[in-house]
Amino acid sequence: MALFGLIQAAVLFSNAMAVLHEERFLAQSKIGWGVDQSIGGFGEDPGIKAQLVNLVRSVRTVMRVPLIAVNSVCVVLLLLFG
Amino acid sequence: MDYSNQSGFRQRKLQPKVRMRGSAVDSGEPSQLFDDTSAGHNAGHSGVDKGPMVYAGQSLLSDPVSNLAMAYGSSLASQGKEMMDKNLDRFIPISKLKYYFAVDTVYVGKKLGLLVFPYMHENWEVSYQQDTPVAPRFDVNAPDLYIPAMAFITYILVAGLALGTQNRFSPEILGMQASSALVWLIIEVLAVLLSLYLVTVNTDLTTIDLVAFSGYKYVGMIVGVLAGLLFGKMGYYLTLLWCCASIFVFMIRTLRLKILSEAAAEGVLVRGAKNQLRMYLTMAIAAAQPVFMYWLTFHLVR
Repeated sequence: MALFGLIQAAVLFSNAMAVLHEERFLAQSKIGWGVDQSIGGFGEDPGIKAQLVNLVRSVRTVMRVPLIAVNSVCVVLLLLFG
Repeated sequence: MDYSNQSGFRQRKLQPKVRMRGSAVDSGEPSQLFDDTSAGHNAGHSGVDKGPMVYAGQSLLSDPVSNLAMAYGSSLASQGKEMMDKNLDRFIPISKLKYYFAVDTVYVGKKLGLLVFPYMHENWEVSYQQDTPVAPRFDVNAPDLYIPAMAFITYILVAGLALGTQNRFSPEILGMQASSALVWLIIEVLAVLLSLYLVTVNTDLTTIDLVAFSGYKYVGMIVGVLAGLLFGKMGYYLTLLWCCASIFVFMIRTLRLKILSEAAAEGVLVRGAKNQLRMYLTMAIAAAQPVFMYWLTFHLVR
């Protein structure tokens, strides 16, 4: 039962990362979350903020299509079984 | 009937031993992970077809058609097993898992002693043998999965025992305890992986190593809950405090060598934001252990 809670939390979390607005949060913006990729350089530790932005970007790219499938399955199951 | 089934089973059991030894020779490991304890090893070498026929000759099935059927069935079973092993190996690296279970009694005893009293141990480094870490049997500092797995199962049983003494037991509770403890383990391992990725640590800690380290706290939890059952709440708190402190020291001393850079791990104060961040990370991982230990056991002792 706690396992299903974990799966639910994981699906919700990935959905949250997938719906983030690219321009407002993940690019060079006024909020300052974005990182200028060209300055990073090799051999230098990118730093936590850059790693986080990279992580969110890669999760979005990887999970876009599987999330469509998982969300459809969840919608169907919730419609059928409440 | 039973005899032929036994022969079929023995065939399947002997073949993996032959395969494993072959793989050990191929990878160039001078020492085997496991001792060879198979008795009828030579009988299995002569081939699959002769085996069933030898055993079948001694049983009532001397019928050639049933011999053929049995040979075909056992070859089909071995083929199916090979295919399943190959496919399973893609998801769960079984050969790597075998390394973590290559333990013996002396190692387990020493490791358990280390988990509750790590203060006298001096050398925490894992010894290597030509770039591969030595099997846990030969080095007490190497992580293993035997103790965490056994401790997890024992924790579930002890939780059931504790709930039973308070008349709160029902069979579903065992499953709920097991799944919630497993979920917390998964969450902790994911959190540690995420933080290791964010801090860009170049370490040779694998995921299975992290599962092993996170599983070591179950030993302290079991000791605490048992003390709570025997001596009441005061015994529980005192023992839990002791076990929390020892797990804290154990984790710090083990992870320090893996996460921090070489110079910093030897105790030399290396300045720099990177090492400081890594030290904070080590301390955070070690501090999360007592928190989980308390969280997962306090509801068991009333």
